[in-house]
Amino acid sequence: MNLTYIDWLIMLVYFIFVLGIGFALKRYMRTSNDFFLAGRSIPAWICGLAFISANLGAQEVIGMGASGAKYGIATSHFYWIGAIPAMVFVGIFMMPFYYGSKARSVPEYLRMRFDEKTRAVNAFSFAIMTVFSSGISMYAMALLIQTLGLFKGIIPDPYVFHVSIVLSAIIVLGYIFLGGLTSAIYNEVLQFFLIVAGFAPLVFLGLKHVGGWHGIQQTLPTAFTHSWRGMAHANTNPLGVEWFGLAMGLGFVLSFGYWCTDFLVVQRAMAADSEESARRVPLIAAIPKMFFPFLVILPGLIAVSIVPKAMNKVASTQTAGITAPAPAAAADGSAAIAAPKGIIPVKTNPVTGKAVLDEKGQPVYNYDLAIPVLLLNYFPTGILGLGLTALLASFMSGMAGNVTAFNTVWTYDIYQSYIKKDGTDEHYLWMGRMATIGGIILSIAAAYAATSFNNIMDALQLVFSFVNAPLFATFLLGMFWKRTTGHGAFIGLLSGTGAALLHHGLTIPMGANPGIHGGWLSIVHTYPSDMAMNFWTAIFAFATNLIVTIVISLMTKSRPDEELVGLVYSLTPKPVEHHMRWWEKPSTLAIGVLALLVVLNLVFA
Amino acid sequence: MGLDIRIPLGLMFLVTGGMMAIYGFFTRGSGIYDRSLGIDINLIWGLVMFVFGLVMFMLGRRTKWQDDPVHPRPWEERPRGH
Repeated sequence: MNLTYIDWLIMLVYFIFVLGIGFALKRYMRTSNDFFLAGRSIPAWICGLAFISANLGAQEVIGMGASGAKYGIATSHFYWIGAIPAMVFVGIFMMPFYYGSKARSVPEYLRMRFDEKTRAVNAFSFAIMTVFSSGISMYAMALLIQTLGLFKGIIPDPYVFHVSIVLSAIIVLGYIFLGGLTSAIYNEVLQFFLIVAGFAPLVFLGLKHVGGWHGIQQTLPTAFTHSWRGMAHANTNPLGVEWFGLAMGLGFVLSFGYWCTDFLVVQRAMAADSEESARRVPLIAAIPKMFFPFLVILPGLIAVSIVPKAMNKVASTQTAGITAPAPAAAADGSAAIAAPKGIIPVKTNPVTGKAVLDEKGQPVYNYDLAIPVLLLNYFPTGILGLGLTALLASFMSGMAGNVTAFNTVWTYDIYQSYIKKDGTDEHYLWMGRMATIGGIILSIAAAYAATSFNNIMDALQLVFSFVNAPLFATFLLGMFWKRTTGHGAFIGLLSGTGAALLHHGLTIPMGANPGIHGGWLSIVHTYPSDMAMNFWTAIFAFATNLIVTIVISLMTKSRPDEELVGLVYSLTPKPVEHHMRWWEKPSTLAIGVLALLVVLNLVFA
Repeated sequence: MGLDIRIPLGLMFLVTGGMMAIYGFFTRGSGIYDRSLGIDINLIWGLVMFVFGLVMFMLGRRTKWQDDPVHPRPWEERPRGH
């Protein structure tokens, strides 16, 4: 890759501002509340943008671009079905309890509502997960920098990976150490606008080149440009999942489980300056979120729509590890209909430099490079620096989100609860800073673990999905059924995770070998795709948790009503909205968001 | 919080957009724009970013954040008599 001084200057300006914000905010970090909760003083729109930006990690930008290239516009279900309804629900119904209970974290809410053991399960599993997620973001970024040859000629090849890891760690550590959650939130806002600024012109140029949305529709198979077509059956759509599994598994269990209970995102709303603002945060976030498919999924579709003439140009793109695609992949019309490849490069072996082949001898395509390749295809020097900065910003926002969630849960829910209960506020502020350093060091260790034991990382992510899948049932019952008990919640949570494990051990996706993909106990059912199996694992985990929690709760003694005021829906006074005009009410915003969602689904049905 | 985010946000877009626009102006008509379908994307998008940065900076400056008191925090009790 040939970067010039202007590209490097743009990147440098971004990093100066990122660290500058940390320095500017340092003087405001006087108490642990300032550091961990941003002083509960941030306006709703800032928290709203941070709410989605914290989720804009590697998986989001690179992964969604890759899925767009692989599955088409149906990938937008991960936003329209898999995020927006849950964001509306958390804003309208759950935020009054998170914010109003004055809990400092999601695990702390579980302690207030249930008991210590339920909090402990959530706090420990969450702390471990955040460290690994941050490490995976770091690893993915270093790998991308290495693949694109960003430092080619500047740093010797064997050191590129290490330098990338250390640089990103220092920058993220710097601004969180100095400015705590406020710094992370402010930088997430910066990153949000940068990502929009970097990707919007890419989509504009790409669409202009391929003849707009109409051109994409003419080039790609119908299933790629319609999100709901063929959803009646798993075999008739690119995702390989039917509408019920999609709506229940993704749209309900997984989506509500993430957006309504994951402290990484909820922490951003809890930093808002009032309960009304906190309720508006996820609703404000939902508006840009529903249009994000046009920034991250559409580039994937454009990448596979580009015709061979443009491919030749890409073949000359000066990148270190990117091999030009096999011309037959898209040059031949029929091949394109089967699986359009466009400019997606073939995956190469980093050691031999040769193309990776599957068991049928066909080349394996590296869909993860859909967006980076598109950047190189359309962006001249100058704006290329902006595009690459946007890409790096997305990785860093994912990393920082995890690190701030980790330092809070570690300090409040683990250190203060089990190690040092009677420390001064100054001591906990110090511990928060130390936890930031510790979290970054553990993330680096996780990133290196990923390089050596790729399967171990896959296995860990799988275990985390088992822990997360049943979680929403615990919160749903806890907030909306006053009879739910701590014993019920604890045993239900463990049973749900057990059910997820069992389901994974007894089922397998089509074409996979028993092992990490499933079927390691016995095979009683085969799913049409990996995705269908994931969704159904979540459905089983949720249902098991729900039933077990209800049964155990009915068998055990519940807490008196007066102890649950502010924690349970039926016992908590409804938020006062009389002073707000109709358009200021969160419910109005929620209706508007849902109406927009319906329109988008209809347009791209 | 005392610092209005629109100020650093605006400044960053002003600087980045400004640099891109100047670079785009001096490289107009260059072969580097073959990739971007003949459009001087640096000049155009640099100007868009510059204007966005200016608007954000002006909006941020309207609020005098320097005068914003660090005290009291929402959870801190206000002293009697205030």
